[in-house]
Amino acid sequence: MARGGGNRSRLLLILLLVSSLFLITLDLRGVNLAGSIRSGVATVFSPVENLFSKLFSPIGNFASDFRNFGQSKSKIKQLEKEVDLLKSKEVLDEDLVGQLSQLKNVLDLAGRGGYKVVAARVINRGSSATFKQTLTIDVGSSDGVSKNMTVISDGGLVGVVKSVNTNSSIVLLMSDPTFKIGVRIAGTQGIGVVSGQGGNKYLLQLLDATGEIKVGDVLVARGSEGGRPFVPGVPVGTVTSVQSNASSITQNADVEGLSNLDRIGVVAVVVSAPKQDPRDSLIPKPAPTVTVFITPTPSPSASN
Amino acid sequence: MSRIRVLNTSILLFAIFLLQETIVSRINFPIDGFSLYLAALMILLSLEDRNGALVFGFIGGLIMDLSVAADTPFGQWALVLTAIGYLFSVNKESIGDFTDSPFIFLVFISLASALSLLLFLVIGAMLGQEIGALTHVVSIIFANTLWSFLITPLFLPAIIKARAALLSNRERA
Repeated sequence: MARGGGNRSRLLLILLLVSSLFLITLDLRGVNLAGSIRSGVATVFSPVENLFSKLFSPIGNFASDFRNFGQSKSKIKQLEKEVDLLKSKEVLDEDLVGQLSQLKNVLDLAGRGGYKVVAARVINRGSSATFKQTLTIDVGSSDGVSKNMTVISDGGLVGVVKSVNTNSSIVLLMSDPTFKIGVRIAGTQGIGVVSGQGGNKYLLQLLDATGEIKVGDVLVARGSEGGRPFVPGVPVGTVTSVQSNASSITQNADVEGLSNLDRIGVVAVVVSAPKQDPRDSLIPKPAPTVTVFITPTPSPSASN
Repeated sequence: MSRIRVLNTSILLFAIFLLQETIVSRINFPIDGFSLYLAALMILLSLEDRNGALVFGFIGGLIMDLSVAADTPFGQWALVLTAIGYLFSVNKESIGDFTDSPFIFLVFISLASALSLLLFLVIGAMLGQEIGALTHVVSIIFANTLWSFLITPLFLPAIIKARAALLSNRERA
């Protein structure tokens, strides 16, 4: 009896394994089974994601806020003063204000670059179990979005549209280890390739081993033919350290992204490339420093 | 195992998957992320008999393959979780009774989640997928194991109750 049960289990195991392999083979041979099923699931999930996004949008960042608690401690006193100020004013939804500010800045960036964009709200993030770093945004083919369009935020590049459904799209983030983009060092003709490393750090491989690169250099997207998948001129990141190796045929550098991908709420999808390459015009300008001149007045005792 | 239980358990798994995709994946955990779905599936597999572990491993994998963020071949998770279901079924005796040793049960669930992710990566690499930097991969697997260990006790009773409610009278007896 037990033996019969064991045989049945073995048969079931073989059947299920063969079914899985059959499905994988179908997918790899181009039978678009997964595409249509996943598209259907995305269409079903999109309204639910939208709803949960509205209900739970401040919750998403609670863990990262907790992580930054040490840094935030010093700001608490300053914030307490601001709270008193805010109490006398009409207090708007903090999350909404943040999103409005991000929207304003991203539209400003798009305007300066001459990009035609569709603004979108981030409604979800990809599960870590997929090993892919993705975002779900609330615009899709009905808004004119299609595959391989550049996605930007107020800081610069965010990623590229990976797949599109009617009312939502999946964006592959630039932090994904499979993500690669051709870049130019702003102000020079040095070119290289930036690849994602999983976090907010990226690796730049400069194609010319003798090219000059230094800490603080800003990298901008070189752009692809027809503006797909990348439009030119989008700021990508800043060089934080240079790894010099005389024997290497390429020069490597560590890069920090200009967009904080963990806290992104609003993005813009570039639906049309600019007529002219904006070159370096989108590079963030350093904040002006305030210089205070103090002229010491002679004390009365000194004049006596 | 009745057909109606297979259907009901599949619906339960799909509901957990919906929760995972719409709420849990929105949370920015301090280190990478946590898969509620994978942990819940591991709990279910550990409670099933030999055939149940295989069938629900396969169905659970097919549901996970529906993830809109995934660009892996459809069926890859089904293959991985059928294999994990098999491992559960042949090692069922060594898992023991979780009510006697909940700590070991938690460790088992967390390690099984990690093993699933690792197996998924290995099969992905065999299929020619780019898996990225080793540190990134290790960080994801470690974080998932850690969060599974810490968060699973919060929803473990709910999963057990939900499963018990889906059992037929004959299976309860």
